[in-house]
Amino acid sequence: MKGKRVLIANRGEIAIRVAKALNELGLVSVGLWTDNEPEAAHLEYCQEWVHLPGSTNRDTYLNVPKIMELIKEHKIDAVHPGYGFLSENGDFAKTLQAAKVIFIGPNTEAIAAMGDKAISKQWAQKAGVPVVPGSTGEVPTAAEALKMCQDIGYPVLLKAVAGGGGKGMRPCYSDADVKTNFEAVQREALSSFGNAGLLVEKYVQNPHHIEVQILADKKGNVYHLFERECSIQRRHQKIVEEAPSPFIGADEKLRKDICETAVKLAKAVNYDSAGTVEFIMGEDRKFYFLEMNTRIQVEHPITEEITGVDLLANMVKSAFGEPLDFKSQDEIVLRGHAIECRICAEDPITMLPAPGKIAGFETTFPQGIRFDHCLYPKFTITPDFDPMVGKLIARGLNRDVAVRKVRAALDGLILEGLKTNIPLLKVIMDEENFKKGQYTTHYIASVKPQEKVSVGENVESYIPRIVSVEMGQV
Amino acid sequence: MRYYFLDQDRNEQIVDMDRMVEDGVTRQFHFKIEGKKHVFHARKLAGKLFGSWEGKKWFKLPMLSPGETLVSHATTLKVYRGFKPSGLFNGNAGALITQMPGKIVKLMVNVGDKVQQGQTVLILEAMKMENEIKAGVAGTVKSINVQVGQALESGVLLIEIDDEA
Repeated sequence: MKGKRVLIANRGEIAIRVAKALNELGLVSVGLWTDNEPEAAHLEYCQEWVHLPGSTNRDTYLNVPKIMELIKEHKIDAVHPGYGFLSENGDFAKTLQAAKVIFIGPNTEAIAAMGDKAISKQWAQKAGVPVVPGSTGEVPTAAEALKMCQDIGYPVLLKAVAGGGGKGMRPCYSDADVKTNFEAVQREALSSFGNAGLLVEKYVQNPHHIEVQILADKKGNVYHLFERECSIQRRHQKIVEEAPSPFIGADEKLRKDICETAVKLAKAVNYDSAGTVEFIMGEDRKFYFLEMNTRIQVEHPITEEITGVDLLANMVKSAFGEPLDFKSQDEIVLRGHAIECRICAEDPITMLPAPGKIAGFETTFPQGIRFDHCLYPKFTITPDFDPMVGKLIARGLNRDVAVRKVRAALDGLILEGLKTNIPLLKVIMDEENFKKGQYTTHYIASVKPQEKVSVGENVESYIPRIVSVEMGQV
Repeated sequence: MRYYFLDQDRNEQIVDMDRMVEDGVTRQFHFKIEGKKHVFHARKLAGKLFGSWEGKKWFKLPMLSPGETLVSHATTLKVYRGFKPSGLFNGNAGALITQMPGKIVKLMVNVGDKVQQGQTVLILEAMKMENEIKAGVAGTVKSINVQVGQALESGVLLIEIDDEA
């Protein structure tokens, strides 16, 4: 494996995380840069830099023919896709396979089985894993969706077959909702994922989003690394994640049950990489399979923090057929608690993306903080890319300690020049329900922490900024 | 030195920095906001910038440059040091007027030129600082009333731009 050349087909903080793992393992990390981001921060960690011409995602990080050209030209042995972009694109994985290039991810059959939500549900049912009631395949028209809704009952969720990251899905509470949203979600699905296929499923109310981290090698060994709870979401996108789940809490039987269910599904599809099985869990503690993400996830660090397992390094080792860093499930022990706050360039009240340029960036963190990010002063966050620019992760002896640390870290994270969700995250960390670990996926909508974000700016607070400018002149 | 903070709704807040006193490794900055005096201390340490209200309790400051957008996380503010792009906010949108005495360093447009909003049209030196004066509106340069090297008082009409609209 040593000395093999690995292309990172991604940007931002995940490209940095991948490069760190590659470098540590003695592989050659090859990074890409595009015309709309010539000063890509991830290159700092990449040993070789390759220009991927173009300024739109379609022309660059989603451009399979161009990436294949570069792979040939630069004698690449393997590709790590990160998350988003081509990470769950089965055709890309197959193209790589045909070109005898290793895809650092699961085998193409597993992607085919799990990458498509409709098919993955069938696999889950076959493996005896409970699923949310809904369509078993793609629903081609709004009329058919309406018919299906009669059986499922409202509310329902319209979801892109190829979706992920909360894009391409919308809840509908009536026939009228389905009629108005169907084509819109199709369009969103087509533009975001290049596939307009839609699913209809029951929209479970007051749920918890709980997911299990899977890590598997190429020899049929499948392990779980416990669960994460990612119920704090806005627009169906996670903003705060923690491990272990406060809802499961000390219910070790339930924890074992959900983790083993995830392993069962992974084994059923011969899963052989890092992946995540997502479940929705109701108040009755019954859980249903939602989908499996056949890639590394944004929130993987909290699992790394509570288990001590380097997921990226092991994902790479697995892809090269190397043994993992551990030999049995018993070696994976859950220790302490970890919380991740996603730092996004967005308005803290409306939670809408607010691209801009970073005027100032400083950190002063407590002990036990990990900040995975791609920030630097003068970095311009363009509307082309995801507004998530960093992940603030705290690990503590227990949940209270982790909350305390991440809260203190938010105070020590200074980002000037653009709007961020930092004030919102502070409100959430201070909020009583969150502090008690009592929340569902409706937290943002029902508790409305965004309404407690203070908008008033004291004129006196301008003074330190003026002094900063003045000190820069001398 | 006068600072202008302009928010997205064109509200303007003026903060005057009266003087700076060097005191060993630290500097004291004296301000006046709406008649009230404030003092702020600053010093560099290990390549970073620190500030303090009373010179005892210090906190890290981000390094900022003039003309940056500053955000209090909920409000966007443009900060201008010494001068503001006249016309961008308040008054006649196309008229660029000196906000304090200065000297013309460079003219970057000619009469009849098309300019974009925010485009630098001239450079004015004041208090040993070069200030980029920017067009407040997109349009055509109608008149240029100053020359390079000319020393100006506050309130002089520099350039007029005909608004496209």
